[in-house]
Amino acid sequence: MTNYLIRRSFQMLMVLFFSALVTYTLLTLAPGGPWEEILGRQGSETMRIDAEDIARIRAQYELDLDQTWRFTRWLFGWPNGPIRIGEQELLADFQVGCFLPLETTNALGETVIIGCQKPVTLKDLEGRRVSRGVIFGDFGLSWGILRDRPVMDVLWSRIPRTLQLMFTVTVLSLMIGIPLGLISAIRQYSLFDYTVTTLSFLGSSMPTFFFGIILILIFAITFKQWGWFYLPPGDAVGSRDYVVPMLGKVEAGSLLDQLLRMIMPVSVLVFFSVAGWSRFIRSSMLEVLRQDYVRTARAKGLLENVVIFKHAFRNALIPFVTIVVFAIPGMFSGAIVTETIFNWPGMGRLFIDALSRNDYPVSMSIFLIGATLTVIATLIGDILYTIVDPRIRLS
Amino acid sequence: MTASATPAPKKVVEILQPEAMPKEESQFAIIRRRFFRHRLATFSLGLLLVIFIAAIFARQLASYGPTEIELTNRFAPPGSVSAESGRTNWLGTDHLGRDYFSRILYAARISLTVAFSVVILSTVIGSLFGAISGYYGGLVDDIAMRFVEFMLTIPELPLLLIISSILLQSPQAIPVPKALIDLMAVLLYLGPREALQVIMVMLVLTAFGWLGVSRLMRGMVLSIKNMEYVEAARALGVSDFGIITRHLIPNAFAPIIVQASLALAGFVITESVLGFLAFGIQDPTPTWGNMLAFTQSYMFEHPWLPLIPGLPIFICAMAFNFVGDGLRDALDPRLKH
Repeated sequence: MTNYLIRRSFQMLMVLFFSALVTYTLLTLAPGGPWEEILGRQGSETMRIDAEDIARIRAQYELDLDQTWRFTRWLFGWPNGPIRIGEQELLADFQVGCFLPLETTNALGETVIIGCQKPVTLKDLEGRRVSRGVIFGDFGLSWGILRDRPVMDVLWSRIPRTLQLMFTVTVLSLMIGIPLGLISAIRQYSLFDYTVTTLSFLGSSMPTFFFGIILILIFAITFKQWGWFYLPPGDAVGSRDYVVPMLGKVEAGSLLDQLLRMIMPVSVLVFFSVAGWSRFIRSSMLEVLRQDYVRTARAKGLLENVVIFKHAFRNALIPFVTIVVFAIPGMFSGAIVTETIFNWPGMGRLFIDALSRNDYPVSMSIFLIGATLTVIATLIGDILYTIVDPRIRLS
Repeated sequence: MTASATPAPKKVVEILQPEAMPKEESQFAIIRRRFFRHRLATFSLGLLLVIFIAAIFARQLASYGPTEIELTNRFAPPGSVSAESGRTNWLGTDHLGRDYFSRILYAARISLTVAFSVVILSTVIGSLFGAISGYYGGLVDDIAMRFVEFMLTIPELPLLLIISSILLQSPQAIPVPKALIDLMAVLLYLGPREALQVIMVMLVLTAFGWLGVSRLMRGMVLSIKNMEYVEAARALGVSDFGIITRHLIPNAFAPIIVQASLALAGFVITESVLGFLAFGIQDPTPTWGNMLAFTQSYMFEHPWLPLIPGLPIFICAMAFNFVGDGLRDALDPRLKH
C-alpha cells in the first residue's frame, strides 16, 4: 500500500508537471496579450517608442529572460536574485536573459538578432516583481478581465457561484439517479425500465446547449408570452424586480429570485448527470443481481427487500463511489456550456470570457487547477475503491 | 490457402442430406438482418441518408448562396417569399437576411465532413497506436499507455477550447499542405482562409479523438495476440507489421466500428459546441453550431429561430447514436449486457 501510494504520488506529480509545462507552452504561444497590444501602438503617431522603451516593456513581462528561467519563475518563483549563502552572493553575474539584443539587418532586409548588448544577470532579477509561482497558488496577473489584478482575485469572485450550482446539481442528481437506476434494474424490462433507459439514452446523446436553449424557449419565453408562470432566462441574481404570475412580485436579489434563476441551469445539468449515473447504477446492479450470493440469499428465504438492499445494492454501489469522486473536479471547471447559455457567472463562463478576451493567464489557471483536481480525484477514487471493496488490492 | 480448404466439407454435408441443410447465409447477410431488426437504427440510417444526399447536393438544392445577404429581408418567417428576389425562404432568414434553408444545407456539408474526417483520422491513428502498444507490450506499451492515460486525465473541453482559440488566431502555427487546403476549399465551397479554419478544427478534434480508440484497440489486441492463428502467422514468417495490419486490426474491427459510429455523434456535437462558443469555425462560414449561437440573441423576439439550426444537430447526434446502437447489436451481440 505504501509503495503504491509513493508510486502513484510520483506519477501524479509527473502529470501535474507536464500539465504545467503544456499550460506554460500554450501561454507563450498564445497570440495577443498586453505585450502585442503595446507593440501594435508603436507605429501610431501618438506613441513614439525607442529600443530602450521596448526593452523596458519586455522586461516588465519577463520577455527578456530565457525561456527556462521564465518557466521556473512562473512555476515556483525562482530565481529571484543571486544565490545567497550567508553574506556571500554566488553567481551574481550569471546570465539569465538579454535586456537589449544586438540587432542587425541582413542581406534580405530582415532584422536578425546576432548577440546581446546588455545581458540580464541574476543580480538584475533582484527587486523585479516575481510571482510566488503557480505551485504556491500565485497565477500571476490577469491580462484582460481585470487588467493587472491577480488572477486569484478574478477566480475567487466566481468560485462561490460555481460551487453553489454544482453542489445543488450533485446532491439532486445523486438523489434522483440512484433510485432510478435501482428501480429500473429490479424491474428490468418493465415499462419503468424502458422509460428510464430511453431517457438516459436521450440524455447521453443530446447536446447540452440544445437542451438548455429549448428550456429557455419553453419556460422563459413561451410561458411568459402566454402569461403563465415563467422563469427568468439567465444570470444568477436579477438586477430589476419583476412580476411572475402566481408568485407575485419577485424582488431582485432576494432568495426567491436566486432560486428561480437556478432552476433551469440545475435542471439541465441534473438531467445529464442523472442520465449517466442511473445507467451506471442499473448495469452494476444487474451485474450483482446475477451473482451466486444473491441467489443464496434468496434461497435462504430472506425478504426480497433485505436481499436487494443489504446484499445487492451495497455491492452495486462499490464502483459507483469512484465514479462520483471522479465527477468532483468537474465542479471546479464548471459546466462551461451550461453556464454560458444561462449567463451564469461561474468558472465555466469565466473561462469562456477569458478565452475570448485573450486573457490567457486566467484561462490557463482555470485549466491547470482543473487538471490538478482531476489528478487528485483520480488518486482518491482509486484509494477509496480499495477501502470500500477489500477484495481489491493496490499494487 | 484458407479459401481452398473451406468448400470441401460443405460439399460432403450437401451430398449427405441436401434438403435438411439450412439456407447458407453469408456473414454480411447475418449482420444486415440483425441491424435492420433494430427499428430505430434502420429509421436513423434512412434519415442520415436523406441528410447526406441533401448535403451532397447542397448547391443544387439551395436557392441562396451560403453567405448571401438580403438586408431588406431580415427575420423572415419560415415559408415566406422574399420581396426582393422572389425566392422562397423555406426556413426563414436570420439577422442579416441570410436564407436559413440554404445555410443549413451548406452547414451540413461542413459539419458532416468534419465529423467523418475526424472519425476516420482518429480511428486510423488510434487503431495503429493501440495495436502497436498491445502487440509489443513491455516498455513500449507502458510508455504508450501512460501517455494516453495522461492525455485522458486532462479535462478535455477546456484544453480543446484553449488550443482552438490559439490556433484560430495564428493558424500558421501548424503547417498544412496547400493541396489539402485546396481540397477542402473545393469540397466545401470555401475560400482558402475558411478552409484552413475547418482543417484546424479537424486537427484539434482529432488530437483528442484517437485516445479512446487506442485503448479499445489495445484491449482487443491483448486478447487476440495469443490466438493460434496469430502464432501460425508468426511461424510462417509474417512480419510484425503484416500481423498487426492483416490479422490483429481486422479481427478487432467490430467494436472499433461501433465505437466510430458512436464517436460520429460525439464529434458532431463537439464541433457544434466549439462553433456555439465561438471557438470553432467562424461566421460567415455556416455551421449548425455558430448559427445556433447567433439565434440565442434574437430568440426573445423570434422564438422559432434556435430550433432551425438546433434540430439538425439534435437529429444527427441521435441518429448516429441509434445507428451505433444497431451496429453493436448486429456486430457483437455479446456487447449488450
